[in-house]
Amino acid sequence: MTIGRKSVCGASRWPGGAAAALLAVLVGGCASGPSGGIADPLEPLNRAVFRFNEVADGLVIEPAAELYGLVVPEAGRTSLRNFLDNAGSPVVFVNDLLQLERERAGVTLARFMINTFFGGLGLFDAARHFGHVRHEEDFGQTLAVWGVGDGAYLVLPILGPSSLRDATGSAVDGFLLDPAVYIAPSDARLAARVADGVDTRYRLDPVIEDLRANAMDRYATVRTVYQQRRQAAIANGRATAADPDYEAIFQDPEAEDGTSN
Amino acid sequence: MAPATSLTRRGFAAAALVLAATAAARAAPPAAASGFIETVGNKVVGVLRDASLGRDERLQRLSGLLDEATDLPLLARLVLGQYWRKASQQQRDEYVRLFRALAMKTMADRLHEYGGETFEISGSHAVDDRDTIVTTRIMRPGSQSPVNVDWRVRDTGGKLAIIDIIAEGVSLVVTQRSEAAEVAGQQGIDGLLQQMRERVEGRA
Repeated sequence: MTIGRKSVCGASRWPGGAAAALLAVLVGGCASGPSGGIADPLEPLNRAVFRFNEVADGLVIEPAAELYGLVVPEAGRTSLRNFLDNAGSPVVFVNDLLQLERERAGVTLARFMINTFFGGLGLFDAARHFGHVRHEEDFGQTLAVWGVGDGAYLVLPILGPSSLRDATGSAVDGFLLDPAVYIAPSDARLAARVADGVDTRYRLDPVIEDLRANAMDRYATVRTVYQQRRQAAIANGRATAADPDYEAIFQDPEAEDGTSN
Repeated sequence: MAPATSLTRRGFAAAALVLAATAAARAAPPAAASGFIETVGNKVVGVLRDASLGRDERLQRLSGLLDEATDLPLLARLVLGQYWRKASQQQRDEYVRLFRALAMKTMADRLHEYGGETFEISGSHAVDDRDTIVTTRIMRPGSQSPVNVDWRVRDTGGKLAIIDIIAEGVSLVVTQRSEAAEVAGQQGIDGLLQQMRERVEGRA
């Protein structure tokens, strides 16, 4: 049974412009595949990169994250996370606007102002205490809202699970939309990316341990979880109309056979 | 033959009436489903918090609640999907047995992770005439943000049962189904059963 990508492709709330149409063609539009949600025509290559990433993780990234967890106390880790989140919020703001999410754009802007000026350049999340709760947004999600499908599943070296659409989105965020590109030295930006990666790996450790202990096929599990998380992020927590592919799962296979009771 | 035909017709009308009545009864209102999740949730939190319980007794009560609140054989069938139809009766029985054993083992492995979480019901809506989605927020201690968890509840002929758990957008059934399809597609149903057996026995 093919579980397609209709829900994300149908998530478009307003017709995208010419640029979005072009990108839709570029990344293959609404491709669907038999892999539990996302097309994976590059699976052999992706699996090879996945194996490489697991080795790299074991040799370098996990030890680095473990060391980070040992050396940096919790308050320091929280401050670093807050700082990185705040420094990344201009990108969130631009994408809020590109998705015509005025209210969410307002929250992101308010958070940036409060945390930059009253939160020690973002080291403290003061805005949260005023009821402004953080959310994520990126250009991959913006493309999805404009009607662009994920194209194909991609596993990037070191960076991990992505898709043609989301990798394109990350490049646009990182090299075009982020104001830091125009004002911060490239060394500082690289350092921020590395710190972000190590902190993220540290925070994901319980999930990764769980995956190692319980998954029968880690590659397939990561792929479907990535796809589901992206779909939820794109929907911004709104209750979307029931996804026909998801609903189809709940037709009891035994009842279909007529062998039930 | 006329009387027989009319009898059949009357029988048909009666059957339709009974069916309509059962259908109406089966369409559990969202309120019943959220009440069910609230009751089950309170029982689970109660068992987790009861300091007088030893580990074994706690696990035993939780397994009881798991069997009571979910329909594990149905859940197993949904997860196996297309391969359920292809499996022999023997493979099906073995699969359901291993599915339940793995669920119990996962619960036992994660028991120590409980850190005082509580929950609140934030809404519910009917999907069709038998399924309802109940949305909850799991409140975590300290300043950690709450986790959104949705429960899909099915009315299985008068008895309510959880048939999917969606944590922050990630569905248990979709995830496990995707993995089962991958393993069964590559190694066959017997290969999948072997992998599950190894996990149940802790040899993986």
